[in-house]
Amino acid sequence: MSKAKYSQVQLQPGGQSQSQLLQPLEYESMEGLLDDVRAEDGSIKPQWSYLLSTLRDIGPEVMREREQKARRILRDDGATYNIYGNDGSPSSSWELDPVPNVIGSEDWANIEAGLLERSELFNLVLRDLYGPRTLLRHGALPPEALFSHGGFLRACQGITLPGEHELILHAVDMVRLKDGSMCVLSDRTQSPSGAGYVLENRTVMSRVFPSLFRDSHVHRLASFYQRLRLKLVSLSPSADVPLVVLLTPGVQSENYFEHAYLANHLGFPLVQSGDLMVRNGYLWMKSLDGLKRVDVVMRRVDDIFCDPVELRSDSQLGVPGLLEVVRTGRVVLANPLGSGVLENPILLKYLPKISELLLGREPRLSSAKTYWCGDDEDLQFVKANIRQLIIKPAHRGSGISSVWGGSLSDEEINLLLTAIHTKRYHYVAQERLEKSHIPSFVAGALEPRPTILRTFSVATDNSYMALPGGLTRIGTAPHGRVISMQSGSPSKDTWVTASEPERIVDADLALEIAQAAQASPLLSLPSRVVENLYWMGRYAERAEGSLRLLRTVFVLLNGEERVSPNARRILLQAVTQITATAPGFINASEELLANPDVELLRIIIDSGTAGSIKSTLNSMISSADESKELLSTDTMRVINDLRDALEGLDIELAAGLTSAPEESLDPLVTALVALSGLMQESMIRGIGWRFMELGKRIERALQTINTIRSLMTTVTGEGDQSTLLTALLVSMEVLITYRRRGRVRRGIELGLELVLLDSSNPRSLIFQLERLQQHLDQLPKSVPDTGELEEEGRALLEAMTSLQLSRVPQLLETQSETREELDNRLHQLDKLLKDFNRFVSDKHFDHRSDPQQLVTTFWGEQ
Amino acid sequence: MLFRVKHITRYKYAQRVTRCYNIAHIIPRDTARQKCMSNQVSISPQPTTTMHRGDYFGNNAYHFEIQNPHTELVITAESDIQIGDHDIELDLDLAASYGEVLEHLREMISPDTVEAREFLLNSPMIECSEALEDYARPSFQSGRSLKVCVSDLTSRIFNDFAYDPNFTTIATPLASVLEHKRGVCQDFAHLQIGCLRSMGIPAKYVSGYIETLPKPGEKKLVGVDATHAWIAYFSPNEGWVEYDPTNNTAANRQHIVTAFGRDYLDVTPVKGVIFGGGDSPLLEVSVDVKRLESR
Repeated sequence: MSKAKYSQVQLQPGGQSQSQLLQPLEYESMEGLLDDVRAEDGSIKPQWSYLLSTLRDIGPEVMREREQKARRILRDDGATYNIYGNDGSPSSSWELDPVPNVIGSEDWANIEAGLLERSELFNLVLRDLYGPRTLLRHGALPPEALFSHGGFLRACQGITLPGEHELILHAVDMVRLKDGSMCVLSDRTQSPSGAGYVLENRTVMSRVFPSLFRDSHVHRLASFYQRLRLKLVSLSPSADVPLVVLLTPGVQSENYFEHAYLANHLGFPLVQSGDLMVRNGYLWMKSLDGLKRVDVVMRRVDDIFCDPVELRSDSQLGVPGLLEVVRTGRVVLANPLGSGVLENPILLKYLPKISELLLGREPRLSSAKTYWCGDDEDLQFVKANIRQLIIKPAHRGSGISSVWGGSLSDEEINLLLTAIHTKRYHYVAQERLEKSHIPSFVAGALEPRPTILRTFSVATDNSYMALPGGLTRIGTAPHGRVISMQSGSPSKDTWVTASEPERIVDADLALEIAQAAQASPLLSLPSRVVENLYWMGRYAERAEGSLRLLRTVFVLLNGEERVSPNARRILLQAVTQITATAPGFINASEELLANPDVELLRIIIDSGTAGSIKSTLNSMISSADESKELLSTDTMRVINDLRDALEGLDIELAAGLTSAPEESLDPLVTALVALSGLMQESMIRGIGWRFMELGKRIERALQTINTIRSLMTTVTGEGDQSTLLTALLVSMEVLITYRRRGRVRRGIELGLELVLLDSSNPRSLIFQLERLQQHLDQLPKSVPDTGELEEEGRALLEAMTSLQLSRVPQLLETQSETREELDNRLHQLDKLLKDFNRFVSDKHFDHRSDPQQLVTTFWGEQ
Repeated sequence: MLFRVKHITRYKYAQRVTRCYNIAHIIPRDTARQKCMSNQVSISPQPTTTMHRGDYFGNNAYHFEIQNPHTELVITAESDIQIGDHDIELDLDLAASYGEVLEHLREMISPDTVEAREFLLNSPMIECSEALEDYARPSFQSGRSLKVCVSDLTSRIFNDFAYDPNFTTIATPLASVLEHKRGVCQDFAHLQIGCLRSMGIPAKYVSGYIETLPKPGEKKLVGVDATHAWIAYFSPNEGWVEYDPTNNTAANRQHIVTAFGRDYLDVTPVKGVIFGGGDSPLLEVSVDVKRLESR
């Protein structure tokens, strides 16, 4: 590639000249870079030729479109890799490069054989380290290499899994060397991440490049996930239909998208620590219909955090008492607790020796040359060559970070050497491998990027199966040293090409899958997920109600007809009341009421003000994240629209309220209406939907009461009355009905009847109460039905009766400045509904107190 | 000699504890010089599950889970322990020298030695330091019998450090104990272990009980005994040898071992997680060591 062309592309990323559009998309290797595309003689390797010629024909412009399409699909699927910044806000989007990494079938056969062997070997090592430790006795591994490692969990001694294997899921990061062979950089054996992203990448690529994908004869991935599922199910210690759950640290986890995605794909409930508890020596999931016994946990929580009783005592991500249940074999964790010990890079140094001892031969797959500072000779070597080496921690949790010696100043080198000297067992060094480059689509051109491949293998009955593919990650620049998801490296789909047409279905596997599917229990939900749906419903409704009122107030205040100071005050106070952002306009000075913009702006976009539109929507979005696995793709898309609309609002209102601020709020209202429509139209009428509806109806009922109280309980003059009534009717979307019916009769009586008692108005209070009653009837009953009403039923019935017995003219009668009858009645309804809400949440949601340590000690570095 | 040890641990909570999960190291283990003949643990309120197992270090770990709400937890462990009869009075000068031991540790890969090397490393509560090494060095000469070296170190700690139950808590770091020269048995044990490891000698933490004898003419009071802590060091020829820096003695027949570990954290008498309970639970411990027979 010529320098000129490169800079031209950079300068004009968006608008390319016509001549460039017609240019084919060519890939040229860069001088001095290790490149996977060309063979030594300069010819293009066969596995790359079809892809590159197709891309050439596609051209840069179409490629851009495909890239956009891929980005859209990822966004709609909610594919994120959360990197939490200092302000706690996630900056996240899963980056997929549209050019796949292609691996030929013969090449793959070698890699695969090496992988399977490595998994077998690591499995034996794991069994030995928590068992007889013959590796130490035979001198294959120095005791300090094991005993000083933070991943060696003494509490896990002797734990074994049913079946042949201890290591269930194994991921290996590797790079391609100059000679074309693969070399391992590290192993992931705790709770390897990436397998879900692989699936998502594949889904996107097959949609974006349907014909290229079809014609490339790419190995399918599905059977790997089916194997994984079968293996997990087979680990169950119980004879009953097993309950397998996927344990995630929660939405804050950088891989949360993947956890939800895998849980859905595998058909396992996604749980967090608070959803589980140990009782009577078993592990249970708290679901709406009581405790469900858990048989197998696919864990995505690091082992050290899994049980505050025996492991890290300050962990909030684990389940107290879990390890003891594991020990008795009543629940199985995969990968087993303690398996993080295999991620110790010191093992790489001794692997040939270990392999000799356990397998009788050296491993096929080589590992990066690794030096351990705990070894005298290695320490001398590291000291002498520190600038040519990558210095790494032996244990990732030790607070030591990896560093490339070549990038350090003399002073930093001295500091590092001192640190190594005091904790020599905790440091390893690795040679820096030149990474092979492959084509990637960058700013409209194909450019070489350094590559790391993460492969996966899963234990089957008596051997391992490799995922035919993997997660390819690329550097952000040629020669890039750091390639990690944390540093924002893009990913690629990995295409292993099949030499012969694949058998679509493996007959044995199909049978097993059919049997397993038959045995699958209905998916029960952790009550946390349901509670989050409930809150999602409430927050969405709260935001919508607040937005409607704000919009109405803006229109009235900025409208042609003059609003009296009195009406103005009542309107603004209603805004404070409905958004619960007091003091705000309550008891406000004349000056504030005359210049309300700053306060209104705060009520809209200040995320630090609880009750503001932004804060309510943020809460809604995080509730949605917590129950992500139950939301449809369309719903996720609308939620993404909301995210975007919120960002847009920030920009639009950055300089203060605009002349027609109600227009800025429109996109939010539109998105919320779409969301509410989706809930009605595309959600299964299960328990989740019911609770979301329940939340929505309760919120709407409370908002209606609140709005009427704010606007209608003060007695005002004729003109103000009309303004306030209009505000009420507009914000509740019934002005048109009112006008139509008003041909016969007008005024506050008709207005109140519409919003309180008209069952045909879906925004009326009575409508909400009727819906609440319907939902209540369908909720799971905790005790046998005795015919006696439970307390939430009583509260609702009382509210309903009180409302139905109301006569609007009576409510409006008053001798004073306020309509006391109306106010009292609404106050009573408000209280009854809040009681109802409390009874329902107490009964169905889990309000646990946080655990604490009996003895407060501290956990040292180990 | 047969001892009966009654160890009562009582927690009083400010608020109700709705459930709890605990591990106790309160049942004495077997060692080269003692055997636990019988033991009984009773817990109030009644646990929903209990489990007694051998842990990584070969100690008795007792797990229990309580699901009944309670404001008081009482754990009573009663054990009969037979202890070898003679006090271990050894000829200090015949044992291997410090220098020889260091060499053996490096070269031998007998299972014992391999295992002992675990106790050379830092552990959660004990980190080797130059300060520890500086303090320990005067006791260690390459040609001197290791036993004499350790005995000397034990005496020095006994003489240099003040026993002061008000100075330290579980969380007091070793450096602070060394600086202020005061602490309790647990601190002295950690200190001596840190010294030994800094000098290249594997050392472990021993938790247990010590029988206190009444002054002549006085009657022994029930419950005055205490949980105690001391150390054991390893030499390839003699195995593990126990010393008590708090009392300036090699462990004798008044020392009853409960558990071995790298430090206190491995053998905490009662630990766990409680739900509820409020702030600062009140802890009372009473230990009674009684001789059942002297032969």
